[in-house]
Amino acid sequence: MITLDHYLYLSAILFFIGVFGVLFRRNLIVILMSIELMLNAVNLSFIAFSRYTASMDGHVFAFFVMAVAAAEAGIGLAILVMLFRNRRTVQADDLTLMRD
Amino acid sequence: MANVESLRYFLPELLLTALVLAVFLVDLGLKRKKVPIATLMVVGLLVSLYAVLKTPGAEGVTLFLGMVSLDPFSVFFKVIFIVTAVLVTLFSMESDEVEEKNFGEYMGFIAATTLGAVLLASSNHMLMAFLTLELVSVPCYVLAGYISRSRRSSEASLKYVIFGAASSGLMVYGISLLFGVTGSLSFEGIRDALSAGNPGEIIVLISLIFILAGLGYKIAVFPFHMWCPDVYEGAPTPITAFLSVGPKAAGFAVLVRMLHVAFSSSDGAAAYLTDISSVDWPFLVAIISAATMTIGNLLAINQSNIKRLLAYSSIAHAGYLLMGVVALSQLGTQALLFYFVVYLLMNLGAFLVVLNFRSQTRSEQIGDYTGLAWRSPIGAFVAVSMAIFLFSLTGIPPFGGFIGKVYLFASIIQGERFIWLAIVAIANSVISLYYYARIIKVMFLRGIDAEDLGGFVSSPTTITLLTILAVGTAVSGIFWGPIARWVSHSASLFFG
Amino acid sequence: MLAASKYAPVVLLFVIALAIPVLMIGIATIVGPRRLGVKKKVPFECGTEPIGDTRKRFSVRFFLVALLFIVFDVEAVFIFPWAVLFRQLGLFGFIEMAVFLFILILGLVYVWKKGALEWE
Repeated sequence: MITLDHYLYLSAILFFIGVFGVLFRRNLIVILMSIELMLNAVNLSFIAFSRYTASMDGHVFAFFVMAVAAAEAGIGLAILVMLFRNRRTVQADDLTLMRD
Repeated sequence: MANVESLRYFLPELLLTALVLAVFLVDLGLKRKKVPIATLMVVGLLVSLYAVLKTPGAEGVTLFLGMVSLDPFSVFFKVIFIVTAVLVTLFSMESDEVEEKNFGEYMGFIAATTLGAVLLASSNHMLMAFLTLELVSVPCYVLAGYISRSRRSSEASLKYVIFGAASSGLMVYGISLLFGVTGSLSFEGIRDALSAGNPGEIIVLISLIFILAGLGYKIAVFPFHMWCPDVYEGAPTPITAFLSVGPKAAGFAVLVRMLHVAFSSSDGAAAYLTDISSVDWPFLVAIISAATMTIGNLLAINQSNIKRLLAYSSIAHAGYLLMGVVALSQLGTQALLFYFVVYLLMNLGAFLVVLNFRSQTRSEQIGDYTGLAWRSPIGAFVAVSMAIFLFSLTGIPPFGGFIGKVYLFASIIQGERFIWLAIVAIANSVISLYYYARIIKVMFLRGIDAEDLGGFVSSPTTITLLTILAVGTAVSGIFWGPIARWVSHSASLFFG
Repeated sequence: MLAASKYAPVVLLFVIALAIPVLMIGIATIVGPRRLGVKKKVPFECGTEPIGDTRKRFSVRFFLVALLFIVFDVEAVFIFPWAVLFRQLGLFGFIEMAVFLFILILGLVYVWKKGALEWE
C-alpha cells in the first residue's frame, strides 16, 4: 500500500539529489538539470499533499511551477549559450573573472 | 472580492502590463529607438503611478478571491517601485553601457520587473508570491547580462540565474511543506491553521528556513549574499542601481507581509505582533540581520572597485532593514518604510555618480576618483553630492540616513527583546564610516593639483537628477515630518 | 516527546533523504576501483570500434529552436484544464483564455519579427 509518506520520501530524496547536484557538480548544464530536478521534486510533493488533503490548490501550484521551471530553463540555457560564445567554457570553476 | 469586480481596482497593474507589451512591440518598428522608447516608458510609468494614487479602496480590500490585497502598505511600495523605474530609465539614457540595438528589450524587462514588484508587494497568497517573485527575478537575470559582448556581464548573469533558480527551488519546497502541514496557501489560511493548533513545529521550522532562503536570496542577506557583489560588478551600472533598490524593496515587502500576516497575530491595539508559529522566527531573523550587516561591512572595507563596495554596502543595509522586521511592531514597519524612502534617494544617487564617472573616465576604481573635487566646477559638484550620499548611507546627521537609522534603532529598543541587535548595528555604522570616508577622502583631500587629469563634465540631465537626489537626501534629514506621516499612514492600516 | 509525535516519520524522511545522496556518492568513491586504461574507455560490448568523436557539436540554432519550443509548449499546461472545463467556465473563462493566447501570439510575432525563426 503506497501512502502519502512514500511520496514524500521520494520527493525529499529527489529534491536532495538535486541540491547535491547544484552544490557539487561543476558542469553548468548539469547544474541547470539539477535545478529542474529540485523543482520536479517539489511538484511531486505538492501533488501528493493535494491528493491527501483533497484540495485543488496543490495541483494548480504544480502547473505554475512547471511553467516557471520552463522559463528558468529557457533563460538559463540562453545565458549559458551567451557565456559560451564569450568564454568558450561551460564549467563553473572557470567563472573567476570577479573575485574579492 | 470576485474576479470581475476586482478589475477596476487593478488598473495600475493592467496599465503596466500594457506598457510591457507596448515597449516590446515598439522596439520592432523603430531604427533610432532610445528616445521614443524611453519617453514611452516614462509616460507609461507616470500614468500608472497616477492610477496607483487614484485607485479606490486603498484602505484595504482583497482582490481576485484573496490572491492580491490592496492596502496602504502595497500602495506605498508601488510608489517606490514606479519612481525607481522612472529614475532608472533616465539613468539608462545617461549611460554609455546601454546600447541602442536591444533598447526595447532592455526597457521592456525593466517594466516587467516593475510589474512583478508591484504584484509581489500586494500578493496575499503563496502562489502569487512565488509567481511574482519569479516575475521579478527572471527579467533581472537577463538585465544583468545585457552587455552581451562583455565577459564580466555574462558571467554575472549566469551566477545570478544559477543562485536564483536554486534558491527559488528551496523556497517552493518550503511552501509545499507548509501547504502539507497547514492545508492552505493563503496567508490568512496559514495563520489560522498555525494559531488553531500546533501542526508539527519541526516541519514549520524547516519550511520557514527554506522560504527565508528564497526571500533572503532576493534581498541578499547572509548566507545568501554571495551572488550580490559579482552581479553588481558585472551588470551595467543603471541595472546595478535598479537591482539595489527595486527588487530588494520587493523582497522586503513580501517578507514583511508573509512574516507579519502568516506567522504572527496582532493584539487589539495592533501596535505589536506576536509570533504564533512556535518556532521563534524573530530570533532567527535577528541572527541573520546581525550576521548580514557585519559581513557586509567587514567585506566592504577592502574593496577597490566602487560598484563592488556599494554591493557590500547594500548587503549591510539589508541587515539594518531586517531590524524593522524583527521589531514585530508598527513602529518597526514604519521604520522600514521610512528607511526605504531615504535609501532610494541616497543609493540611486551614489550609483548615478558612479555611472557619470564611468562614462567620463571608463573606470570603476576608487583610486581613480582621486582629486575629483578639484578637476572642474562640475567635478566639485559631483564630489559634493557623492559626499552627501555617502554620509547619509553612513547615517550621519543631518542627512536622511541618520533619521532612518534612528527610527530603526528606536523600534528595536522599544521591542526590548533584541537590544543587543541595536548595539551590533551601531558598531557596524562605525565600521561603515571607515570605508565610506575613504572615498570622500580620495575625492577631496588628494590630488589637489589634478588639472592635468582633464576636466570633468556631466550632462544637464545628470546634473538635474543629482541635484534632486542630493537635495532630497539632505531635506529628508531635516524636514522628515511629511515622510514620517506618509509611512505611519502606510504601516498603520496594514495591520487593520 | 519527539518520538511520540506524529511527525516523527517526516523528520526521519529528512534524515533518509540527506543520507541517500551522501551514501550514493560516498560509497561510489570509496568502493569503486580506479583503474583507468585504454580498454576501459572503449564503448562496452557494442561490436565495432567507434569512428570519429561522439561529442559532436550541435549548431547553436538547435538551442534557439529548443528554447522557443519549451516556452510555447509548456503553455499547453494551462490550456488543457481550461479545455476540459470549457462549459463550466463559460464566457468569462473564454475571454480570459483569449487574453492569455493573445499575449502568447504577441510573443510569437515578436520572435518572428526578430528573425529567431529564420534558419539562415
